[in-house]
Amino acid sequence: MTGRHSTRALGWLITGAGLAVGAAIWEIAGRIVGAVFVAPLSETLEALTPAVWRALASSLALFAAGFALSVAIGVPFGLLLARMRLLRVALESYIAILNATPMAALIPFILSLMGFDFAPKVLVVFLFAVFPILYNTVEGARSIRPELIEVARSFRSTERALWRDVLLPFVLPFALTGIRQAIGRALVGMVAAEFFLSASGIGMTLQSAAQSFDTATVFAAILLVTLLGVALMELGGALERRYAAWRNIK
Amino acid sequence: MTAESRPLDSTPGAGLARLAGSTLFVKLVAGAALLALWEIGVRTWAPAYVARPSGVVAVLPEVIESRAFLSAAGATLGSVIEGLAIALVLGIAVGIAMGRSFVVDRLIRYYVFALFAMPMVAILPLITLWFGYTDAARLATTVFAAFFSIVLNAADGARAVPLEYLEVGRSFRAKRSHVLVDIVLPASMPYLLAGIRLAAARALIGAVVAEFFISVNGLGFFILFNSRSFRHNQAIVAVLLLAGCGVGFEALVNGVTRHYFLWYRRDEKPR
Repeated sequence: MTGRHSTRALGWLITGAGLAVGAAIWEIAGRIVGAVFVAPLSETLEALTPAVWRALASSLALFAAGFALSVAIGVPFGLLLARMRLLRVALESYIAILNATPMAALIPFILSLMGFDFAPKVLVVFLFAVFPILYNTVEGARSIRPELIEVARSFRSTERALWRDVLLPFVLPFALTGIRQAIGRALVGMVAAEFFLSASGIGMTLQSAAQSFDTATVFAAILLVTLLGVALMELGGALERRYAAWRNIK
Repeated sequence: MTAESRPLDSTPGAGLARLAGSTLFVKLVAGAALLALWEIGVRTWAPAYVARPSGVVAVLPEVIESRAFLSAAGATLGSVIEGLAIALVLGIAVGIAMGRSFVVDRLIRYYVFALFAMPMVAILPLITLWFGYTDAARLATTVFAAFFSIVLNAADGARAVPLEYLEVGRSFRAKRSHVLVDIVLPASMPYLLAGIRLAAARALIGAVVAEFFISVNGLGFFILFNSRSFRHNQAIVAVLLLAGCGVGFEALVNGVTRHYFLWYRRDEKPR
């Protein structure tokens, strides 16, 4: 098995080389085209001031509020649709339509109706995130074969046992797929809300730094929000693998 | 479906009952109920300028014929399609290189994944620094929004090409370029289509948000402008068009997948 080991070692070597080359290109490009257009890596790292980290923390609070709301509403509502077939048939097309609609288009309406508080920004994050969760949960609900529920019924399963042993295990993996997709959308919603509603957090940092041509801070803010995105998506993927593993066994 | 056309139905309610049981009927009733809720809710609680279904219907013909709306729609959709086309060509090339070459994959995978995970609107300030407040800035946003989901899905597809296909190619001494174009590319089409569907949705969002940010002519700006001047009904028409594009494109890609790639099992993992 030395072959596999050496392949893996080679892979890491190449990955390391790729990261190093990328960092070098970034640094050199910055020095050639000028720091106003591309801030070199070194300047970007210097621009990671406590203020930028604080902005990230403020953005994270907005993300957490909107995302928690969308999970708290999306998952139970999706489960309800799993149990009530008529309601699911009635609403699933509309959920699919709203899932395909670019929610960003609603930001100006939210602005003019709700103004510049924290709540409208949470609403934006919520709207970006809730439909992937609902859409995937309903998809899961549709995949439950009616016989399963009938069998449970014929064995006189209680409603609680039906939820615990049939509905939840079936729908949860789909809900987790939705939650993973929602993470990416909620991040977009977070930054968009901070740009177009009351400026705050990393969105405000980006905008004010760009206006004063402080490109290093722009790069630093983008770097942080990218790392946040990677960390959250990895977390979502790990959750999905942990709790949805059975779905891939066929 | 009425009683007259079905003389054997003795009970007059039978046709109606069957109709009520059909899924289409249930969906239509639900849709009507949602619209009614919207209408009543706005009439009861919201100021008069807020969009409601009756108001939208009233302004619909006028908006659809207006020059401002048509040019906005053309600008946004043109930019989305152009951006998608650019992202598609570049993304397929990079993605297949990643999927088929161990070295390329290891070299750039972290960069590709990080840029995919990055919320694309975050680079808008940077894009305005690079491109100014122009159409090119919007195009760059749509390309950027679409590119990475195409790369990742093309790479997944190229990785998933069955080994036997490649072995057959090799036994016939096919050239590397032929293997890539004639075996790898078609075999990874279903993944690619899933990537395109996602990319189109992201490009649409990217275009709208870019228009808010840089205020160039387009549907996003149309919405912003009209909602600021309290013409919400007119603005909603643009939202409806955007929703229609989102739904239409998804239906198109799904239809193509179902029609041309019947062999493909539905175990994709949309990213």
